[in-house]
Amino acid sequence: MKTNNSIGQWFVHLVLLVISACCLLPFLLLFITSITDEQSIIRHGYSFFPETFSLAAYQYLWHDIGRILHAYGITIAITLIGTAAGLIITALLAYPLSRKDMPLGRFWSFVVFFTMLLNGGLVPQYLVYTQLFELKNTLLGLIVPGLLMNAFYVMMMRTFFATSIPFPVIESANIDGAGEFRTFVQIVLPLSMPILATVGLFQTIHYWNDWFNGMLYITDSKLFSLQNLLNRILLDFDFLTSSNFAGGNAAELTDVPRETVRMAMAVIGIVPILIAYPFFQRYFVKGLTIGAIKG
Amino acid sequence: MKLLAAGKRLRSPRRYAALGLMMVPGLLYLLINNYLPMFGVIIAFKDFNYTKGIFGSDWIGFKNFEYLFKTSDALLITRNTILYNAAFICLNLIVPTGVAIMLNEVRKRWLSRMYQTVILLPYLISMVIVGYLVYAMLSADTGFLGRTILPMLGLPDISWYSEPRYWPYILTAVHIWISAGSLSVIYLASIIGIDPEYYEAAMIDGAGKWQQIRRITIPLLAPVITIMTLLQIGRIFYSDFGLFYQVPLNAGALQSTTNVIDTYVYRALMTLGDVGMSSAAGVYQSLVGFVLVLVSNFVVRKLNKDHALF
Amino acid sequence: MLKKRNAAQAGLAVLLASGMLLAGCGANNADGSNNAGGANNAANENTAGNAQNADGSSSSNAATASAPSASDLKPYELKIAFWGDDQKDLPEVEEAMNNILKAKINATIKVMPIARSQWAQQSNLMLTSGEKMDLIIGSTLTNFPSQAANGVYAPLDDLLAKYGSDIQAVVTPAQLSTAKVNGQLYAVPTIKDMAQYYGIMMRKDLVDKYHIDVTKIKTLDDLTAVFQTIKGNEPDVTPLVAKNPGTSPFYAGYLPFDPLGGSIGVLPDYDNGLKVADWYETPQYAAELDLMHGWYQAGYLPKDAATSKQSGNELLKAGKAFAILGNLKPGSDAEASRVVGQEMVSARLTADHATSDMINNSMWAIPKSSGDPDRAMMLMNLLYSDKELFNLLAWGIEGKDYVKKSDNVIDFPEGIDITNVGYNFNLSYLFGNQFLSYNWAAEDPDIWKKIDAFNKNATPSKALGFTFDVTNVKTEIAAASNVVNEFSIGLETGTLDPKEVLPKFIAKLKAAGADKIVAEKQKQLDEWAKTQQ
Repeated sequence: MKTNNSIGQWFVHLVLLVISACCLLPFLLLFITSITDEQSIIRHGYSFFPETFSLAAYQYLWHDIGRILHAYGITIAITLIGTAAGLIITALLAYPLSRKDMPLGRFWSFVVFFTMLLNGGLVPQYLVYTQLFELKNTLLGLIVPGLLMNAFYVMMMRTFFATSIPFPVIESANIDGAGEFRTFVQIVLPLSMPILATVGLFQTIHYWNDWFNGMLYITDSKLFSLQNLLNRILLDFDFLTSSNFAGGNAAELTDVPRETVRMAMAVIGIVPILIAYPFFQRYFVKGLTIGAIKG
Repeated sequence: MKLLAAGKRLRSPRRYAALGLMMVPGLLYLLINNYLPMFGVIIAFKDFNYTKGIFGSDWIGFKNFEYLFKTSDALLITRNTILYNAAFICLNLIVPTGVAIMLNEVRKRWLSRMYQTVILLPYLISMVIVGYLVYAMLSADTGFLGRTILPMLGLPDISWYSEPRYWPYILTAVHIWISAGSLSVIYLASIIGIDPEYYEAAMIDGAGKWQQIRRITIPLLAPVITIMTLLQIGRIFYSDFGLFYQVPLNAGALQSTTNVIDTYVYRALMTLGDVGMSSAAGVYQSLVGFVLVLVSNFVVRKLNKDHALF
Repeated sequence: MLKKRNAAQAGLAVLLASGMLLAGCGANNADGSNNAGGANNAANENTAGNAQNADGSSSSNAATASAPSASDLKPYELKIAFWGDDQKDLPEVEEAMNNILKAKINATIKVMPIARSQWAQQSNLMLTSGEKMDLIIGSTLTNFPSQAANGVYAPLDDLLAKYGSDIQAVVTPAQLSTAKVNGQLYAVPTIKDMAQYYGIMMRKDLVDKYHIDVTKIKTLDDLTAVFQTIKGNEPDVTPLVAKNPGTSPFYAGYLPFDPLGGSIGVLPDYDNGLKVADWYETPQYAAELDLMHGWYQAGYLPKDAATSKQSGNELLKAGKAFAILGNLKPGSDAEASRVVGQEMVSARLTADHATSDMINNSMWAIPKSSGDPDRAMMLMNLLYSDKELFNLLAWGIEGKDYVKKSDNVIDFPEGIDITNVGYNFNLSYLFGNQFLSYNWAAEDPDIWKKIDAFNKNATPSKALGFTFDVTNVKTEIAAASNVVNEFSIGLETGTLDPKEVLPKFIAKLKAAGADKIVAEKQKQLDEWAKTQQ
C-alpha cells in the first residue's frame, strides 16, 4: 500500500511538472524577450538564449514612470473596491438561489442565467451608463459596467453552496434560532472560503486586466488604469512608427524597442497578480469542517 | 414533533423575505447591467437611423441577418464554431478535472501552491501576446519549431501559417493551455470543499486512493462539472474572438479552419460598423445557445434534478 | 482597397457591439494605426485661395463681417474630438487657446483626443448616444457618407455662408464637394496633401553599391531586374517588403485607381470613362499578381509576408530589407530617410493623382448634438485662418514644447525629443489648414508651397467629388469582406498561385454579391455625374 502510494505521488508530480513546464516556458520566453535587444529579435526571432541583452524596453517605460505609478494606483483601487463589492453581491445572490426551499428559486436562477445568453449589445449599455447614470469619466465607470458581477460566478457559487454545505446544517442552525442572514454570515461563508477565494481571484484578474471599460468610459487621463495606459502607450507608439513625423527627430522613434516594450508591458502587468496570488491560496485549504460546526 | 414545528417555522414568509432581500443588490445590478440594455435587441430588426433613434427607426424584418447566411461561408463558420466548441467542452471536462484531482493529491503544500500558480500563468497573458508566442514557435524564418525542434527530429519545416489543416490542433492545444489552469482552480476549490469525513469513512472501509477518487471525488464534483458544461453549451455559438483572430494572426489562408461566427462578423462589419447587423449576429448566437441550453438542461433535470441549472 | 486601412478600426466597434469582449487590445494597431497615416493624402483642384495660404499668411483676422462680435455672445464651452494621443501639457494648451477664443468668440475649448485604435468605436458611440459634441473629425474611412445620410451631422451650407468666409477662402468648391452627401454639405475637409503618387522607396547605399539607375525605373516590371541584382549580391536582404506588418506590399503602396469610397468597385486609371469595375477582375490586377508570384518564387518577397510582425521601416532599418512600395508626395525621400535612419531614394511608378478619398479622409463636422452650431462653425473658421490658434493646437506652447529658430521654423527645446515632449500631436494635417503650421527645422522650409503646387497640379480623378453611400449594399459588402480577407493577402504577397486561386477568388466574390455592389456604385456614380454637367 505504501509503495503503491508513493508511486502514485511520483506519477502526480511527473505529470504536474510537465504541465508546469508547458505553462512556465512561454512565460519565460516572454520575460527573456522583454530583456532582449530589439535588433537581435528582428534579425533572429525570439530566443531563450538571445545574442544581446538589453533593458531598453524597461528604460523606455521608465520615462513614463510617474504616469505608470498613478495608473497602478487607479488599478489597485478599482481592483480592491470592485472585487470586494462584487464578491459580496455575488455571494448574497448565489446563496438564496442555492436553497432548494427557496420559493421561485428556479425562476430566479433562470433570470440570472439568461443574462449570459442574451446581450443587448454595446450601444444600449453605453447609453444606460452614460445617459441614465452618468458614469463617464468617473471611477465607477471603471468598476460597475460589466465587471461587478457575472452570472457565471453566481451559478458557480450557487452550485458550491448547494453541494458543499449540507442543508441539515443550515436547518439546524435555523432551529437554534439563528436568522437567515446570521446563518449565512456565520456558517455558510466560513465553510465556503475556497469558492470565495476562487471567485475573488478571478474578479481580481478581470479588474486588473480590464482595458475595455477604460476605453469606453474614460477619456480623462487622470483616471487611466494600468492596462489603458499601457495600451495607449503601445498603440500610439505603433502609430508613430508607421507614420512619418513632420519634425526632424523621428529616427528616435524607430529606436524605441517596440516588440520588447510590448513584452515588458505584459511582464509589469502580470507580476503584481502573481504576487497577490498567495493571498488567495491561503484560503485554498479546507475551511472549518462541518463536524467542527456541529460540535 | 419539534422538527415539524421547526419545518413550519422555516417555511414562514419572514424567513424567505430575508433571503429575498439578500438577492436584491445582485438582481438590481443585473437589471441595470443586462436587462435594461436588452432593449437594444430590437435594433437587430430595424434600419437604425440616428435621427429617428432606436425606437423610431423603421422595422425591416430579417434584413440585418441576411449577411450571416449569404455565402457558402455560412455553413463553414457554423461547422467550425460548433466543432471547436464541442472539442473544447469535451477537453474541458477531462483535463482540468484531472489536473485538479492531482493537485489535491500533492502532499507537500508548497509544491501544490507552486503548481497552482504556474498553471494559471497562461490565463494571465493577453491573447495578443499569446499570438506572439505562438508565432515565436511557428514562424517561417525564426520559429523555434522550424529552426530547432523539427530539424532535431529530422522532419522538414512546415509553413504553418499557410496550411489550414494543422490549425484545429494548434488552436485546441492553445485553448487548453489557457483554460486548463483556471478551470482546475475552480474544480480544486470544489474538491477542497468536500467534507473530509467522507474520505475518513472510505479509508476505514479500506478504500485506496484510486477508489476514493472514483467513488467520492468525482461523484461529488459532478454537479460543478455539469453546471460548467451547461454554461459552455449555452455559449456554443460564441467563440473566444482573440483565440481565433489573434492567434492565427488573421491569416486569410487559414480561414477555412479558423473562421468562426465571431471572426466572420468582425471581418464582415469592419468597414461598415453597422449597429443593426452586429446586433443581429448577437441575436442569432444567443438564440441557438438558448435552445441548446433548454434542451440540455431538460436532459440533466431528467437525470438528476439537483444538477440542473434551473 | 483603401478601405482596408481602417477596416480593423471600424470593426472594433462592431466586435464590441456584438459582445465579443475577448478581443485582444492590440488587435488593431497594425491596420488601425494607419488610418491617420492614410490621411496624408487628399485631392487637388485648388483654384485661387490656396496659394496665398501656402505660406501661412492668409487672413488671420478672426470672424467675418456677418459674425457677431465676441461681447454679444454668451460664454460657451466647445468640445472638440479627434483621433490623437493623450498629451501631458493639454490643460495648459487649452488655457492658452481659451485666451484667444474668449477674445474672439467668447468661448472656451475642451479638447478630447481619442486613441486612434479606439476612434471608430468611440466616435460611433458618442454620435449614436447623442453625447454633446461641437466639432468632430469625420472620415470616409469611418463611413462618413452613411453617417451623414443617417442624420448624425448638422448640414453646413448655411453656417458656412454665415461664419465661414475664411474657410471658403482656402477650401475650394471642388474640395468641399467631396464632403457633400445628397447635395448637402456635412463637413469641411482639412487642408493637407490632397494628392499622391505611388513609387518604390529604396535604400540608397545598395542603389549606389550596385549602380542601379533609379531614373530607369518606370513601372513595376522594371523592378524585377533591380530585385534580381539585390537578391544575387545580398542574400540576407529581402528585396521587397510590405510597408505595414501583416499586409501585402500593395497595401498603402501601390493601388493605381480611384477607390470610389472603398470596398469592391473602383475606377481603374482614375478615369475608365466613369465605368466602375471590380478591381479583382481586371487584367491589371491579374498581371500584378503574376508578377508578385514570380517575385515570390524568385525569393524577392519574404516567406511569411502575411504574418510578419515588423513594419517595412523597421526591416529597412535593421538592414533586412531593400525597398518598400509607398504612396508618396513631395518630401517623401527626406521623410523616409529620417525615419529609417539612412539615406533613402525613391522612383516614381505613377503620375500624381487626386481622388475624393484623399480629400474626405479627414474633415471637420458639427454633430447634431452640438449645443451651439453657430459657435462651432466660428471655431472651425478659426482653425483654417488663425495661425496662432492652429499652432497652439498642433504643437503646444512655445518655449516649452518647441522653440522658435526663426519666424516660421521651430525645433525641440534642449534635451527634449518626440519621446518625452509634453505636447505634440504630430497631426498638423488634421487641425484645419496645415499650411498655417510652423515648419520643423529638419523639414524643407518650402514644404507647404511644394505641397500646394503638388495638390494643384495633380491630375484629378474623373470621379473627384463623388461619395459612395453603402446603405443599399451593406449585406453584400459584409459578405465580400470575408472573401477579400481570405484571398487577397495570400495572392498579393505572391504566396498563392494566381492561375489557380484568382478564379476561385473572383467566383466567390461574385457569390457574395460583388456585381451588386459594382452596379450600385455605378448607379450612384451616374447620378452624381449628371449633377456635374
